[in-house]
Amino acid sequence: MARAPRHARWGLLACAATLAACAAQAPQLAPPAQPDATAAAPAAIDIPIEYYRLGNGLKVVLSRDTTAPTVTVGVYYHIGFRIEPQGRTGFAHLFEHLMFQGSGNLGKMEFIRLVEGNGGVLNGSTRFDYTNYYQIVPAHVLETVLWAEADRMKALAITQANLENQQGVVKNEVRDNVLNQPYGGFPWLTMPQVANGNWYNAHNFYGDLADLDAATLADAQSFFDTYYAPSNAVLVIAGDFEAAAARAWVERYFGSLPARPQPARPDLTERVQQAEKRHSYVDRLAPRPALALAWQVPERGTPQHYAFSLLDTILLQGEDSRLWQKLVKERGYSGGVGGGINLLGNEFTYDGPMLWMVYLIHDPGATPEAIVADVDAELARIQAEPPSREELARALTKLRASLYDLAGSSTRFGLVDLLASFALFDDDPARINRLEENFRAVTPELISEVARTYLTPERRTIQVVQPGGAQPPAAGGAP
Amino acid sequence: MRRAAAILAALAALPGAAQPRELPPTPATPHEFRLPERETLRLDNGLAITFIDYGSVPKVALVAVVRTGNIDEGRDTWLADVTAEMLKEGTTSRSAADIARAAAGMGGALSVGAGAEQTTASISVLSEHAGDAALLLADVLQNPLFPESELPRVLANFERSLAVSRSDPQSLADETLARLVFGDHPFGRMLPQEGQLAGYDIAKLRGFFARNFGARRTHVYVAGRYDRPALEAALRRGFQGWSPGEAPTELPAQPSETLQLALVDSPGAPQSSLRIAVPVPDPSQPLWFQTSLMNSLLGGTFGSRITTNLREDKGYSYSPDSSINPRRGGALWVLSAEVTAEHTAAALTEIFREIERLQREAPADAELEPVKNYRAGVFVISNSSPTGVLGQLAFMDLHGLPDDFLSRWVANIRAVTPAQVSGMAREFIRTGRMTVVVAGDVAKVGASVKALPQFAGARMP
Repeated sequence: MARAPRHARWGLLACAATLAACAAQAPQLAPPAQPDATAAAPAAIDIPIEYYRLGNGLKVVLSRDTTAPTVTVGVYYHIGFRIEPQGRTGFAHLFEHLMFQGSGNLGKMEFIRLVEGNGGVLNGSTRFDYTNYYQIVPAHVLETVLWAEADRMKALAITQANLENQQGVVKNEVRDNVLNQPYGGFPWLTMPQVANGNWYNAHNFYGDLADLDAATLADAQSFFDTYYAPSNAVLVIAGDFEAAAARAWVERYFGSLPARPQPARPDLTERVQQAEKRHSYVDRLAPRPALALAWQVPERGTPQHYAFSLLDTILLQGEDSRLWQKLVKERGYSGGVGGGINLLGNEFTYDGPMLWMVYLIHDPGATPEAIVADVDAELARIQAEPPSREELARALTKLRASLYDLAGSSTRFGLVDLLASFALFDDDPARINRLEENFRAVTPELISEVARTYLTPERRTIQVVQPGGAQPPAAGGAP
Repeated sequence: MRRAAAILAALAALPGAAQPRELPPTPATPHEFRLPERETLRLDNGLAITFIDYGSVPKVALVAVVRTGNIDEGRDTWLADVTAEMLKEGTTSRSAADIARAAAGMGGALSVGAGAEQTTASISVLSEHAGDAALLLADVLQNPLFPESELPRVLANFERSLAVSRSDPQSLADETLARLVFGDHPFGRMLPQEGQLAGYDIAKLRGFFARNFGARRTHVYVAGRYDRPALEAALRRGFQGWSPGEAPTELPAQPSETLQLALVDSPGAPQSSLRIAVPVPDPSQPLWFQTSLMNSLLGGTFGSRITTNLREDKGYSYSPDSSINPRRGGALWVLSAEVTAEHTAAALTEIFREIERLQREAPADAELEPVKNYRAGVFVISNSSPTGVLGQLAFMDLHGLPDDFLSRWVANIRAVTPAQVSGMAREFIRTGRMTVVVAGDVAKVGASVKALPQFAGARMP
């Protein structure tokens, strides 16, 4: 249901808010680590976590922190845009909007009024492998919010008019963020359609306008019945609450929902790419060319994946990173170079194949070949020579600081996002407290090895945006 | 529990429920919220430092706010932005790469940026590096190198950003709105002219820096967890030698109060960008709380009237929204909406309908009380992080607000009456005072927009 992030009033929430919003500025909410492996370890981050399941399979994570008298509630369903039905591109996101249109005891707009009218903010978002709904409310409103979230997990109650209304809203969202924007959808939406081979990873996640129009109430009911089951969800409560009361409310409002079996997840496998892919398209509004590069990353949770996160930090995150220094400072191709693992979240908040991307908008004087050659030179350097202890320590310090930011945030949204992802995808929210040791276990040699294995020319996809054709806007999403 | 009762009553009164409905549990008693303590000291050269001891993690944010920005540019649009960007390109003792590495090694990143009236340099680091971060910030603000060799690259980056802004219909709508509202005042020049940036040389940047940066214009805010004596000593050492410089510029804007309508052509655009602006009292004036609450009810929240109408009822728009941009002496209420091209005139009609309805009838308590709850709740969320509090204090200092502005904030919002909300809409959101911009496919939407009765007699610049 998200609103666009343009307006500062939505502040911190904005980035989490839309399907598209974060592409250009995805926060690298990665984890921690410590400056020097040989120095005394500073106190590791220690998030309090209580984790259990209800009889119907609903996962519950409680994390208490009374610094501020507010509480953040997140309900995450293990259904993202990746596995939406074929012929219904964009449906997972459209359905997210429908979840605000009515449930058993709450009519259209009533959920929103209940939260805002009690001093809270709320939103939802659709990502690769989850759809989430969250509220940040004054602590004394927790029970009310749990009742409301349980109400909409229990039953969808929408009308044809509500559906058509939200089809209109979502089509305007696509126009706002993609069709009527220079570089709209680049590269978060455009690149997966080219770099991936499996339809689930490679379709238009925002949805073709025709597919959005084709959605029916029956589609919505079937989608709800299939995926919005307690056993396919996690409820996270973080902030100022009393544990016994919170547990009792969770049992009272969610405990009676019937368990529903889940279908097997489709095969999301991406084959290892054997030859470089190149793709180019014209963006009617873009005044300058743009370039993006993408590679598949190692499987999440493996030592190679932790090493890849550090590789990303060293190469791409921050103005001290190697690619920033080379492409921005030394060559002057652009005012910035963006990218990372999972542009719509971070390296932990997905469940399937994922791309690492590097992208920039540049002037016509620089050719894609020249820029790619400079990227290649930087990759070759780290493939040949492991990073120094000092450079690795700096990367670990950056990760540690960003984990503190996540733990100390007044919205607690980043924390809830990580707890929910680790519960939903790994059945292990306490993993958040072990991130630091996992990063510290990475050796400089492993970083080089991962770069050699994964960041090869054969495995990469190059996407070029050509400026300004005169043709009218396309009817669909990206390329 | 009057507030909760009002909401429950509103829910219960909704028509059309086919079966007896379960009511939400009534919220409990609000927990106490105390604003974090703060303490301000002033160095002999006039520089102010505010300490805010708050937070649960070992991090500290340092933000230096210098009272300069676009307001000091004259006609040299973006000169403040280029100057700010060049501060990161090295000092007399550190290269740009040194700065970036040093900041990253402390767990942070240096960011410098110019705004309309404030230029900020900030860094957020692990607590044990607070002192070094203070010295880095002090060095960057006082000893910039302004290297000739880096300027062409930095200017090319601004040229590229400018080109992107000029191809973005939303940004063009914003630029036109600023120009029509503020005219020749620097607030009226959002984007430089073609070729203008190429004329900014190092001498010009140095001149801007010399005129507008100095201790008297600077306030350093520190928020988080830190060793107070050590950090204070580092800040004193870093900043006490800075020359006082000039007092902040006073250049009051005179926003337009005459009806004007501008159409900006974006051939083939699938949406139209609507902007409506009227001047409103700025935060230093007594009517601020009334206009601010009026905005929340009219277009400033998800459940607000204009958002509900355009989005949830009509489906014309994804994120229609109104807000108050609180520039000193030139505060504006601005309504922004990107609407489906074919619904451009219809959307404007609905916006006017909502404004006129609020002018005519005071809202019911049952509608206004939840809006007050919303503002009170968001106040707590906004003031529950070190950087949130810091931002509030910087806002208060810019507008010269009294010390009790924050402690009285919730009470002031609670005190606004329905009649006052309606009165603010009557007094300020009048068609005759509006500047309206429609950026879209003019051939398709222009005639129906111009034909709207509200625009009869509008100046068409």
